[in-house]
Order: sequence, then structure tokens, then C-alpha cells
Amino acid sequence: MTIEAEFTRVIGLFQLPFMQRALMGGVLTGLMGGLLGSFTILRQLSFFSDALGHSALLGISIGLLLGLDPSWVMLPFAVLFALAVTYFLERTHLWTDALLNIIYSSSLAIGVILLSFRDEYQGGITNLLFGDILAVQTADLIFSVLLLAVCVTFIGLTLRSQILMTLNEPMAIARGVSVSTQRTTFIVLLSLVVGISIKAIGVLLISAFVVIPACAARLLSREFTHYILISAGLGACSAVVGMMVSALVDLPSGPSIVSAQLAIFLSAILVSKTHISPRGV
Amino acid sequence: MSKPVLVIDGLTVYRETHLAVEQVSFAVQPGTDTAIIGPNGAGKSTLIQAVLGIVPRQSGDVFVLGCPLSFQGNLPDAVRQRIAYLPQHFWLDRRIPITVSELVGLGWDRMGLQLPWVGRRTRHQAVRNALAQVEAWHLRDQRVSSLSGGETKRVLLAYCLVRPRSLLILDEAPAGLDLRSESDFYQLLYQLKQEQGWAILQISHDLGMVRRNCDHVLCLNRKLLCQGTPDHALAPEQLSLAYGSEFVRYHHTCQLNHKL
Repeated sequence: MTIEAEFTRVIGLFQLPFMQRALMGGVLTGLMGGLLGSFTILRQLSFFSDALGHSALLGISIGLLLGLDPSWVMLPFAVLFALAVTYFLERTHLWTDALLNIIYSSSLAIGVILLSFRDEYQGGITNLLFGDILAVQTADLIFSVLLLAVCVTFIGLTLRSQILMTLNEPMAIARGVSVSTQRTTFIVLLSLVVGISIKAIGVLLISAFVVIPACAARLLSREFTHYILISAGLGACSAVVGMMVSALVDLPSGPSIVSAQLAIFLSAILVSKTHISPRGV
Repeated sequence: MSKPVLVIDGLTVYRETHLAVEQVSFAVQPGTDTAIIGPNGAGKSTLIQAVLGIVPRQSGDVFVLGCPLSFQGNLPDAVRQRIAYLPQHFWLDRRIPITVSELVGLGWDRMGLQLPWVGRRTRHQAVRNALAQVEAWHLRDQRVSSLSGGETKRVLLAYCLVRPRSLLILDEAPAGLDLRSESDFYQLLYQLKQEQGWAILQISHDLGMVRRNCDHVLCLNRKLLCQGTPDHALAPEQLSLAYGSEFVRYHHTCQLNHKL
């Protein structure tokens, strides 16, 4: 097949409603993941987003056992889980990464055990682990658009406080920032983003959306505000590129997007090595 | 006499179950420089963190510019704008991308809800003036993580300077600097204090500097052991109360050697 014919085939594919929904879902997740991810990695919460992703499987299993729609059980579950983990982390004196490891591996284990009671879901476990972006529904898109609007408004209106508390919490408190309220709101939004994206991306790959575009953006920026915008932009771009490649070569879409993120991250390393002066990095 | 910028009355602070600061009372007058001295673990940092609402207090009253600090650590925004705090070891994660002018701009910003572009022009002008006053305008586009220790302290002074303030609270501000940079830092700090009319409350281990520059000294070892002018508070009998007699003998021997 010629390149032109391939191109026509891909264009044709993107005229199908489910592909359009998948593309929009990917872009929305990329934007939200990149936006919140920029703060998540600097506050060293990337492992936290990973734990949230893994625990979502437990949320889905509980939903299935109770006979409820797993997508809607997952959102309140993710928020409650995130708040409980934050509370727990603040009140124990163990290492954060060790505790998160305990939490995510045990919630994954319990989730899989609970799933084993539901025979019809045995085949669906791959979808839960790696997601099925083509199964994105209009309701998911509407929720994602609303959530993106909330995230942008929250980060926009509290931008200065968010930056100062990322740099130095005591200095932020001295300036009147209510650090615990800001932190909790951020964690709730992050857990909602993870919760809404699980269906499309899967529990294993969701944290890539939070971590990889932000790391690439960090390599490419000097200023904090640029860094946030670049991070969200790279999240969206990688979703478009990943979806295109996935349609063109017929690859699973979630892993294709994450591979696109990796390609962008590797290019960012090259660009930062050649273009940014040592004093600036 | 004008109203004090800071009044502390019977302040008691626990760190977990440990009594860190007990029944401390003092006042800071406008335009004066007050030093808190005392051995390690005396509760100096805890005291100023409680004054700022960073750590909760058990009992006592704190009034900043006449406004009471609530037990939840709240003060009106307008009062928060009039004070600046520099923590001990302003250690910045080198991986955080932030430029000098962005950091100084954060000193200008209000911390409540606001659109990020509001007041952009005034902010830029204020940052420019503050950086020019500490002779750091040429550093404006550099990453904060790439600055030397002395440059970082100058930029932090610009962070304090970018809005008119009544009170600066410094927790061992020159920590980590070599002797030369430390002396440059104090020279700049006191020049700005003169120009701006700042009151300063600072923790210091440098008794020589305290003797030369400060108007009032608080000698702390969990309790306030004494307070007064440097001549009074740094007299050997007062110092031995805080640090023990061994330290005082050592300190005086050092001073004698220095003079010789």
C-alpha cells in the first residue's frame, strides 16, 4: 500500500465516532496529566500517582462485587483512597516509597482476588491493566472536560501559592498559604484524573501520563510557568501522536501513547543537552 | 513611642510531646533589630515558626502589627504582606525550574485566589527595582539553582524587598556562607534596613555580629532567660545562664585572642 493510501485509511479511521472519542479522551487525559503532573513530580508524588492507579483495580473489583457500574464506583473510591493514604503517610514515620509500595501491591493483590470471584471478568483483566481507549464513552468525555476545567481553574487561581509551596512550605505558610487545604485539593483532583483515565489507559500505564510529559517539560524549561504549560502541551501532543501511530500500524492505543511520551522524553534529553547552557540547567 | 510591630505574650509551644518553648514574652519595636540567641535545641526556630503560624502553639498571644494570630495560624492578608520570612538553609531542590525574577515575583504576589496575569506590569516593575537594589538585575533570567550562595542570599533579600515590609524574620539568614559572603550579606541587610525602616527579628549564632548590630537581644533556652541591650544580655553572667560557664570561658578567650 502506498503512503497516500495509508494516510487516507487513517483519515477514514478518525472519521469514525469511537476513534474521535478515543482521540479526544487521550488529549484530555494528556492535558490533565501534564498539568497536574508538573507539580506531582516536583513534590515527589509520582509514586503516589502510581499507587493510585494500581489501587483503582481494587475499586473496580469492589464495584463489580456490589453489582454497581465500576466506572462510577472508581471515582469516589479513588478520592477516598487518596485521602486515606495521605492521612496515613502524614502520621507514620516510615519511608514514603516503602509505604506506597505496600499499599499498591496489596491493593492490586486484593483487587485480583476479588475479581477471581467474578468469572465473566477473567478475560477483561487485560483491559483493566492496559486500558481500552476505544471504549471511551461520551459521558466519560463530558466528565473529563469538566474535570479539566476545574483543574485549570484551580491551578490558575492558586498558581502563586502552588509554586511557593512547591519551593518551600514554611515560606508559603508564612505568607498565609493554607498548605494543608491546597495539598488536599490537589490530591483529590489528581485522584479524580487518575480515576477517570483508568478505563482508557489502564491501571499499569496511567502514571506515565502524570510523570513522563512533566519530566520532558522539566528538561525543556527554565521558567516555572512555561514548564507547566509545556508539560500539559506535551501530554496532549503525545496523545495525538500515539493515537495516529496506533491507527497507522494497528497497535494497542494506550501503550502507543506511552511510547510516544517516551520518544518525546528522549528527544527532550537530546534538545536540553544541545540547546540549554550548563548554567541554565 | 510608636506601637510595637510584634508582641508575644506567654507563648508556649510543644513539639509533639516535648516542651520546646515555655512562657516566652517580648516585643519588637518598629525599625529595631532583635536577635534571638541560645544553644542548639533551645527552641529558637520553633519560637519564630510559632510566631508565623508555621507550627501551632499551645498557649499565649501573638500580635503582628496589632493583629492577633489565631490558634489556627491565620492573619489578615494585608498583615501577611507586611512581613517576610527567610527560613534556615533556604535549600532549593535543584531540579525545580524557576528563574530569579520568578522567585522575587513570588515575594510580591498576594497568596489568595487571583488570576495569574493580574498586576503583571506593576509586578515586573517591582521585581526590577528590587533586583536592581541588591545589584542582581543581571541575574534575572538565571535559574535559582545555578546561583552561588552569596547570590542566592542577595536574591532572597530582593524577595523581602519587592514589597514594603514592616518586619523581617530571619532564621540564621547567612547560614552556609563563607566569612566574606557573610559580611557582604550583613552589610547589604543593614543598608536596606536603614533605607526601608525594617524591624528585624533574627536568630543568630554570631555573638560578635549581634553585639555590633542589634538593638535588643533575647537569650533563649526553652524559657526566655534574659533580654535587653547587647551589653546587658551578652554579659558573661547572662551568657553562662544560657550556654553554661564552659562556653563563656571559651567565648571570652576567643575574643581576647581576636583582639590581640
